[in-house]
Amino acid sequence: MRFLNSGLACGCTLLLLLCCYVGIRTPKVAERIAVVEYHREGSEMPETNNDRQRRGDRESAFYLFTQQRLPACKPVLTPPWVITIYLLIGFIFVPVGLVTLRASHSVVEIEERYDIECVPETSRTDKVSYIQDDSIPKNCSLLFKVDKYMKAPIYIYYQLDNYYQNHRRYVRSRSDQQLLHGRNSRGTSTCQPVESNNNRTIVPCGLIAWSLFNDTYTFIRGKGELKVNRTNIAWKSDRDHKFGKNVYPYNFQNGTWIGGGKLNPRIPLSDQEDLIVWMRIAALPSFRKLYGRIEEDLDVGDYVNVKLMNNYNTYSFGGKKKLVLSTSNWLGGKNDFLALAYVFVGSSSLTIAIVFLLLHLYSRR
Amino acid sequence: MSGWETVNEPLKSQPGSSSRRTVSRTVTLGRVQPQAPALRTIFCNDREANFAHRYKGNSISTTKYNIFTFLPKGLYEQFRRVANLYFLMVSILSATPYSPVHPVTNMVPLSLVLLFSLIKEAFEDWQRFQNDNAINNTLVDVLQAQGWKTLQWRKLQVGDIIRVKQDGFFPADILLLASTNADGVCYIETANLDGETNLKIRKALEKTWDYLTPEKACEFKGEVQCEQPNNSLYTFTGNLVINNQTLPLSPNQILLRVFSECLSSIVSNVVKGCSLKNTDFIVGAVIFTGHETKVMMNSMNVPSKRSTLERRLDKLILALFSTLFSMCLLGAMGSGIFIDRKYFYLGLRQNVEDQFNPSKRFLVIILTMLTLLTLYSTIIPISLYVSIETIKFIQSSQFINKDLNMYHAETNTPASARTSNLNEELGQVEYIFSDKTGTLTRNLMEFFKCSIGGEIYGTGMTEIEKGVTERKGIKVQEVQTSNDSVREKGFNFYDGRLLRGAWRNEPNHDACKEFFRCLAICHTVLPEGDESPAKIKYQAASPDEAALVLAAKNFGFFFYRRTPSMIYVRESHVERMGKTQDTSYEILNVLEFNSTRKRQSVVCRYPDGRLVLYCKGADTVIYERLGSGNDALNKATRDHLEQFGSAGLRTLCLAYRDLAPDLYESWNEKFIKAKSSLRDREKKLDEVAELIEKELILIGATAIEDKLQEGVPSCIQTLSRAGIKFWVLTGDKMETAINIAYACNLLNNEMKQFIISSETDAIREVEERGDQTEIAHFIKEDVRKQLKQSLDEASQYFCARSGPKLGLVIDGKCLTYALDSSLRIMLLTLGLNCASVVCCRVSPLQKAQVTSLVKKGAHKITLSIGDGANDVSMIQAAHIGIGISGLEGMQAVMASDFAIAQFRFLEDLLLVHGRWSYIRLCKVVMYFFYKNLAFTLTQFWFTFNTGFSGQRFYDDWFQSLYNVIFTALPVIIVGLFDKDISPPLSKKYPELYKEGIRNKFFKWRVVAVWAFFSIYQSLVFFYFISAFSSTSRDRSGKMFGLWDVSTMAFTCVVVTINLRLLMMCNSITRWHCISVGGSILVWFMFIFLYSGITTPLDRNENMYWVIYILMSTPSFYVTLLLVPVAALLVDFLYLCVQRWFFPYDYQIIQEMHKDDIHCTGPSGVVGSKQQLIADEERSNEISQLPREVSKHSGFAFDSPGYESFFASQSGKYVPPNAWDVARRASMRHKATPK
Repeated sequence: MRFLNSGLACGCTLLLLLCCYVGIRTPKVAERIAVVEYHREGSEMPETNNDRQRRGDRESAFYLFTQQRLPACKPVLTPPWVITIYLLIGFIFVPVGLVTLRASHSVVEIEERYDIECVPETSRTDKVSYIQDDSIPKNCSLLFKVDKYMKAPIYIYYQLDNYYQNHRRYVRSRSDQQLLHGRNSRGTSTCQPVESNNNRTIVPCGLIAWSLFNDTYTFIRGKGELKVNRTNIAWKSDRDHKFGKNVYPYNFQNGTWIGGGKLNPRIPLSDQEDLIVWMRIAALPSFRKLYGRIEEDLDVGDYVNVKLMNNYNTYSFGGKKKLVLSTSNWLGGKNDFLALAYVFVGSSSLTIAIVFLLLHLYSRR
Repeated sequence: MSGWETVNEPLKSQPGSSSRRTVSRTVTLGRVQPQAPALRTIFCNDREANFAHRYKGNSISTTKYNIFTFLPKGLYEQFRRVANLYFLMVSILSATPYSPVHPVTNMVPLSLVLLFSLIKEAFEDWQRFQNDNAINNTLVDVLQAQGWKTLQWRKLQVGDIIRVKQDGFFPADILLLASTNADGVCYIETANLDGETNLKIRKALEKTWDYLTPEKACEFKGEVQCEQPNNSLYTFTGNLVINNQTLPLSPNQILLRVFSECLSSIVSNVVKGCSLKNTDFIVGAVIFTGHETKVMMNSMNVPSKRSTLERRLDKLILALFSTLFSMCLLGAMGSGIFIDRKYFYLGLRQNVEDQFNPSKRFLVIILTMLTLLTLYSTIIPISLYVSIETIKFIQSSQFINKDLNMYHAETNTPASARTSNLNEELGQVEYIFSDKTGTLTRNLMEFFKCSIGGEIYGTGMTEIEKGVTERKGIKVQEVQTSNDSVREKGFNFYDGRLLRGAWRNEPNHDACKEFFRCLAICHTVLPEGDESPAKIKYQAASPDEAALVLAAKNFGFFFYRRTPSMIYVRESHVERMGKTQDTSYEILNVLEFNSTRKRQSVVCRYPDGRLVLYCKGADTVIYERLGSGNDALNKATRDHLEQFGSAGLRTLCLAYRDLAPDLYESWNEKFIKAKSSLRDREKKLDEVAELIEKELILIGATAIEDKLQEGVPSCIQTLSRAGIKFWVLTGDKMETAINIAYACNLLNNEMKQFIISSETDAIREVEERGDQTEIAHFIKEDVRKQLKQSLDEASQYFCARSGPKLGLVIDGKCLTYALDSSLRIMLLTLGLNCASVVCCRVSPLQKAQVTSLVKKGAHKITLSIGDGANDVSMIQAAHIGIGISGLEGMQAVMASDFAIAQFRFLEDLLLVHGRWSYIRLCKVVMYFFYKNLAFTLTQFWFTFNTGFSGQRFYDDWFQSLYNVIFTALPVIIVGLFDKDISPPLSKKYPELYKEGIRNKFFKWRVVAVWAFFSIYQSLVFFYFISAFSSTSRDRSGKMFGLWDVSTMAFTCVVVTINLRLLMMCNSITRWHCISVGGSILVWFMFIFLYSGITTPLDRNENMYWVIYILMSTPSFYVTLLLVPVAALLVDFLYLCVQRWFFPYDYQIIQEMHKDDIHCTGPSGVVGSKQQLIADEERSNEISQLPREVSKHSGFAFDSPGYESFFASQSGKYVPPNAWDVARRASMRHKATPK
C-alpha cells in the first residue's frame, strides 16, 4: 500500500506540474502571432478572416498570460468592504454559535471522579500498593443523581486524565499485522518490550494491549439492574479490518509483570470490543473511551448506583479516573467551547464592524 | 577591423604590418585559452591527409550534461544547496529508530523537489541540445566529387572547400578563396560580433581568385599553415602554401563563424546579421571547426550572480534553523524531565532502549533532539528554492522576454533575460551606471538649429525642451514636418526661412551665405561615392563634422569633391534661383582641431582671389578672438548659445576673417617653418595658429543634436522620481558628457554642480614638465583639495531638505586618484549624496571600479547598462548588468544579465517587472515561512501533550505531501500573477518603486509579523482541535482517536493556509481560485483514497476509514467552519488596520484607482485646444526656459563613436587626427588619378 500511495502521490504531483506546464507552454505560434499583430496595429488593412483569427489569438489566455493581463478581480479592502465582511461573519457566526450552544446545552452529562473515593481511607497514603495488591477486593460504588431527563441511548464513558496514550513509545508498541493475522505473523518487533513471554509470542502483543483498561461498571436503578449494551462500542472499520476474526488471545498477561486487563482466550480479537476501543489510541493525555450504552431513559430524580471494580492502576502516575454518563445529539457530546468560540468570533466581528463603521462615518480618511 | 580604414587602405599582406596593427585591437572575451605552440597544417580539399591530424568536427555542443553524466552531475549540483543537503541528512536520520516518522516523510518531499529540479535541468539542457542540433543541421554547400553537395554543418571537416551564398552564415572559420565579386572581395556583416553596423570587406589572395567553380575548385590543393585555435577575434597568422609558393595570410582573408547564441536566434529568425552581403557567393576553405572556432573559444561563463533577496533569504533560513534548534532543545529537555518509571504503561522497567531510559536522562535529551529534528524538519521549507526558481524562470522567460512593451519593432528585438536569478533585484535598484554612446545616445549627430546674424533658425524641440514645457503643463504637439521638407539622417532641421533657397529673402542673407560657406569649407570631411547630392557619403572623423557638411549641402552648398589642395562646392544660390555653380576653393592651410585649441580653421582662397580664414570652435575660444565692434550680434549669439546649451544641443561658433595677402604670406612662412620643425611641432603649430586666428568676425552658431535614444530623458526623469540615482560613465570628453547630462536632464542649471577636472592650468603646467611622479603627486593633492572643498560645500546641503540637488562631474584622470584608498571615502560620500554623477574620460576598468565602489562601499543595489565591449567589465561588476541589444555588438549582451533593445525599456524592466518580481517574491518567501512555521508549530504544541516523546501528530504522508502538493501550487500562482497595480500606474507613480529600494517587504519587522500570526494560528489550530476532540464523537457515541483528530487538524490547516493565500493577493485571477480550490480538493481526494483503500501490502491501519467517519459527523463541519475563520480573523483585522491607518504607498494608489476598469495609460487626455500651440508660442515657451544663471553654452565637438570604439578595441584612447582624413584624401586621389 505504501507503494501504491507513493505512486498516487507522485502521480498527483506530476499531474499538477503537467497542468501548469501545459498552461505555460502553449505553442509558440500564439506569441508569434501576437508579435505580428503588434506590428499590424498601426496599419489599416481590411480585416480578413485571418485577422479575426489573429485577434482571437490575441485575446487568448497565453497572450494575456505573457502580457500579464489576465482578467482578475482586484479586491481592495476599502472600509465598506471591511465592514461588510465583518458584519457578514458576525451575522453567520452568532446564530450558528447560538444553535451550537443550544445543542451543547441539550446534552445531559453526568461526570464523577472515582479514583480517590474508591480507595479505602486506610490505603489512601499508599494507593499504589493498594491497587497492586490482588488480595484486596476492589469493588466500590458510586451514586449518580439524575438532574435532567436523559433519553436513551445514554453513553457510558470512562475518562482518564494525565494518561499519555500518545506517548511515542506507547503508540509504536503494537503489531497490526499480528492483530489481523494472528500469532504466526511477522512484524511483532515493534511490540517491544511486550513482545513475548517465555519465548512465546504474546497475542495481542505490545504495550497498548498489555495496559488494557479493566475497570468494570454495573448500573443499578432502584432495585433493577440497568441493562448495559456493550456491543458495537468499537469502530466497525476497526472490527472488520484491523482485528482478525480468527485471532485469539494467546499467552496474554501471563508474565510476572501484569499491566492491565486480561482477555478471554476463547473470544476472537474482532469481538473483544473493549480491546479494540482501547487500542484506538487517544489524541491527548485526557481522554474518554466508550464503555457501553444504557438503552433505557433516565428520569429526573432517578438515582443510579454504580457498582464498579476499581482495578486499573492510575495511582502510580497520578492519573484520574472518571465515569461519565452522557446523552448525545447531532453535535456529539457536551461541548461549550466550540459554541462559545462561535459566539465570541461572531460578536467580536460585529464589534469590529461597528468600530470600523463609526471610524468610517466620523473620521474619514 | 574598423570599417572605413579597411575600406580605404590598400590591403597590405606583409605579416609584420598586419600583426602589428591587429595585435593592438585584440579583444578577448572570457578565459584565455592556453595555446599549443605548434602550428596547424591543413590540407585543403584533402580529407585523407587531414584525417591524420584528427581535427575536431564541426558539430558543437553547449549542453551541460549528457545521458550518463546527467544523474551524478545533476544530483551533485542539487546537493550543493544547504536545504537539500539538510533534508538528505534528515532523511537518513529518519531511517534510524530515533525517528518518529517513517523515512518516507522526508524522502518524498526531497525526492519530489529533486525530481522537479532535475526535470527542469533536463528540459533546459534539452532545449540547448535542440538549439545545437538546429545549428549543427543547418545546410551548407561542400565541394565533393567535382560538384557542390549540400551537407549539414556538423559533417563539415577541416580542409573542406565550401560555398556560402548571399545572406548565408559561415559555418566555421573559413579562409576566403574566391568571390563572385571583382577582385576577390566580399562584404560581410558582423553586427553581432563587434557591434559595427557597416559592412566589412574581406579580400581573397589574388592567387586564389579563380577557384570559383566546382571544376576549378577541385584542383585547389593548398596547404594552410596557421596558428593553433585561439580566442583572439581580430588576429590570424598563417601562410597559404600553394604551388610551392608561400603566401602570408592576414585576418582579411578569414571569415569567422558567428556566436552560436546569435545563431540560435537566427535560426528562430529573431536576429539578423553575421552574414555574407552584396556577394552572390564565396568559396572558402575550412580552417577551424566547431568548438575550435574563434567565436566558440570566446564563449564565456557568465559569472552567476545571486540576488540580494536570496542572500537575505539565507539569513531567514538561518533564523529558522535556530528556531528549529531551540524548539528541539526545549522539547528534548522536556522529555528528559518527563520520562519516569511511574508511567508503568510505558514499560520502562527493563530492557528500555536508551531514548526512553529514565536512568540515562542526558542520553534521552540527546536522542530526543534527533527525534525532534526529524519531526520538525518541515519548518525548513524544502520546496521554497525550487518554487522560487520556477517562478523566476517563468517570470523571465514568459513575462520579461515576451513583454510587448519591451519589444522593439524596428529592430525586431524583444527583451531577453539571460539569467533568471535577478528578477527581483530589478525591483530594488538604487544606482544606475550608464554608458553614454549607444546607450543614452544613438551616436547620431543631427543638425538641429542655428543662429545666424543674431537670428535663431530651426523650429525643432529637443526632448529636454519638451520635458520642460510638459512639466509646465503645456502639451507639446509634434509639428508634422511636411512631406516635402528636407529630412535625412544627420539633418533634422526645419525652417522655411532658410530651406530651398529661401534664405535669400532673409534680411541678413549675406551672413547666411558666409555661414553656409563656412560650413561647406571649414572641415576635414571626405566625400565618397557618387558626386550627386542624393548618393554622396561623407566620411568624417567625427559625426558632428559630417552633420555640418550635410547641413551645408541641404542649404544649397554642396561639397562634392576634395583634393589635397582644393575643395569643390556646388553652390546653388547665387543670383538666380535654381541655378547652380561649381566653385572651387583653394585650401591653403588647415589649422587642425585639438582639445586644447577647441577650434579648427581653414585658410582658403576664393576663385576671385579673396583670402578668407574660416574658423569654427567653442564659444569661449572664439569669443576671445573676436574683433571689436558688433557687440549686439555677439551678445545675441551668446544668448542663443546658452539657450541651445540648456536645451542639450552641442554648439559651435562660426567666424571668419578676411586676410590681406601680405599678412597671409608673412604668416604662412611662420606656419611652414613650424610645420617642418622637428621638436614640439604641435606646440609650435598652436602658437602660429594663434597669430592668425584673431580679430575674427562672428557669423553665427550651429546647434547639433546628439540624438538621444528615444524616450531617454523622460525615462531618466521617471526613474529618478523612483529614487534611482544615475551615474553616467563615459569615455567622452567632459564637454560632451556634460552636454548629454544636460540633454538627459541629469544636470540642470538649478543644480549645485561640483566639477573635479584635471584640465586646469596648474595641472597642465605640471604635466608639461613631464615628471611622472610629480604629476601623480600633484594631481592627487589637487584632487584631494577639490574633493575636500566640494565635500565641505556639499555637506551644508546634506541636512537641508529643500536645498538644491547636487551633481558631480569628474574626469577619468582625477578619478584614478580619487579611487585611491585614501580618497575613496570622500568620493563615495560626495557621490552618494549627489542626484547624478558624470564621470567622463573613464577607461573600461574605471567603469568597473566606480561600480564596485558603490556596490561594496554603499551596499546598495547597482545596475549597469551599456552596449559595447568597453562596458563589459562594468556590466559584470554591478549587481545587475544590462546590455543594449539589437544594433550594437554582442559582447555587452553576452556579459549581461538582461538585454533590452532600448534604454527607455529600463522603465518597464525596473518599474514594472522588477517591482512586481520583488513584491511577488517577498510574498512567496513570507508565505513559505508562514505556512511551514504554522504547520510545524501545531506539531510542536502537540509535543507538549505527548510527554515530549516526539510522537508525530500527523500521518507520514500528510507531513510529506504538505509542502509539495497541498500548499505548493497556489503560492507559485501568486508568484506569477499577483498584481498590485497596473503597469501604467506603476510608471505613472514611479515613487512606488522606493518601497523596493527601502526593502519594505522583506524586513525583520515583516518577518516578525508573519511569525506572530503563524504562532497565533498554530495555537488556534491546536487548541480548537483539542477542544473538538475532547467530546466529539460519531453518531453511535464512539470517541475519536489520535488519527481522527490529526486528520481533522490537518484538514483545518490545509484549508486555512490556502485561504490565507487568497487574503494576501492583490488580484485574484481564475488561476488563483483553481489552484487554491484545487489544492484543497486534492487534499480531500487524497484522504478519500488514502483512508479508503487497504491492500495486503500496506494497510495504513491508522488512517483506515477515518475521513468517512469524520465527515459523517456534523461537528466536523462545525469545526471546519470555525477554525479557519477564527485563525484568519486576526490576520484580517491586521490587514484592515494596516491598510486603514498605515497604508503602503501602493495601497493608496490602489484605492485612488480602484474604479478604473482599464487604465489606458498615464498620458491622459489633453484638451484639443492646447494641441494647437503655434510655433511662436512654443518658441516663447522655450525662451522662458530657465537659463538665467547658465554658463553652459553647449560646446561639444568630438567623435565619440569612433573614439570609444577605438578605446574599446585597443584598451587605450586614440584621438582621431584631422590630418589623417586629409592625408588619406590625397592618397586616394593619387591612387586613382582622374
